[in-house]
Amino acid sequence: MGDLKIEGTASTPEIICDYQAGSLKMSGDSYPENSFEFFTPVLDWLENFLCNTNTPVTVSLYLLYLNTSSVKALMDIFDMLEECFGKGRAVSVNWYYAAENERIAELAAEFKEDCTFPFNITQLEE
Amino acid sequence: MESLDLYALQQSYNQNGVMLCFNGPLTKSLIEEIGNALRNYLQNENASASTAMDVFAAYIEMTQNIRHYAARQGWNDSQAIATVVIAQDEAGHYTISSGNIVDAEDGRHLLNRIHGLAGMDKAQLKTAYKEQLRKPREEGAKTGAGLGLLDIARKATRPLICSLRPLADGLAFLSLIVVI
Repeated sequence: MGDLKIEGTASTPEIICDYQAGSLKMSGDSYPENSFEFFTPVLDWLENFLCNTNTPVTVSLYLLYLNTSSVKALMDIFDMLEECFGKGRAVSVNWYYAAENERIAELAAEFKEDCTFPFNITQLEE
Repeated sequence: MESLDLYALQQSYNQNGVMLCFNGPLTKSLIEEIGNALRNYLQNENASASTAMDVFAAYIEMTQNIRHYAARQGWNDSQAIATVVIAQDEAGHYTISSGNIVDAEDGRHLLNRIHGLAGMDKAQLKTAYKEQLRKPREEGAKTGAGLGLLDIARKATRPLICSLRPLADGLAFLSLIVVI
């Protein structure tokens, strides 16, 4: 199993999953009509990675806007991470946002309420 | 056919502060294109980034809901017809309005649901949103599973306005107005 790369479009984020590094990065807008289908390869990659390695996992998010079905898919990702964290796996999420995008910072904070693993919300430098 | 009175149409749009409107079959790419235009307008009007994001989010959830509904009904792209209007009122609030044809029974169900949301405060809406987020997806569901309306209600600055106009053949026209 290797890396996963999905090119970004107007309505879908760029996604880069690096197997060696144990990193998952998503950036851009996310409002596909069929989010469940769109995120399935990412969920599959993460599940596979979590089951087959002991490497610490770092998720880096540079998302701008998410529709509600993307929010649901992202929650599935966080649930997977939470479960592994509970079993002792090193897991962290780093969510970066631009100063003017308060809404995404609020969304990140709401996600953080339900997670016990390290979850950092960081404002990007101008 | 009488010729269309474009001047009257223009006057009506201007009086109602209409920035952007669309009527016809809604496709995935049209939602993106109109969404881009909307973002540009909002930027040019110097709307705050948060307001622009809320208007865009309401627009996306409303239009995608209409397409998902049409798909569930087994309608094709050309039958996913919607009327979408984005306007700014005198007080500076943005309104996003959408209308579409629904099965009358589905329409009554939606109307009740939206009236229920209109009676909830922000804290109750947040709780309901998180509960809905935690619900397992229905078998075969590919979408947000009922989060859209809750999300819009949370972003709106006034209770959602919804009405249903009965049509022939067991259908109805559903109108939804969201004020940001």
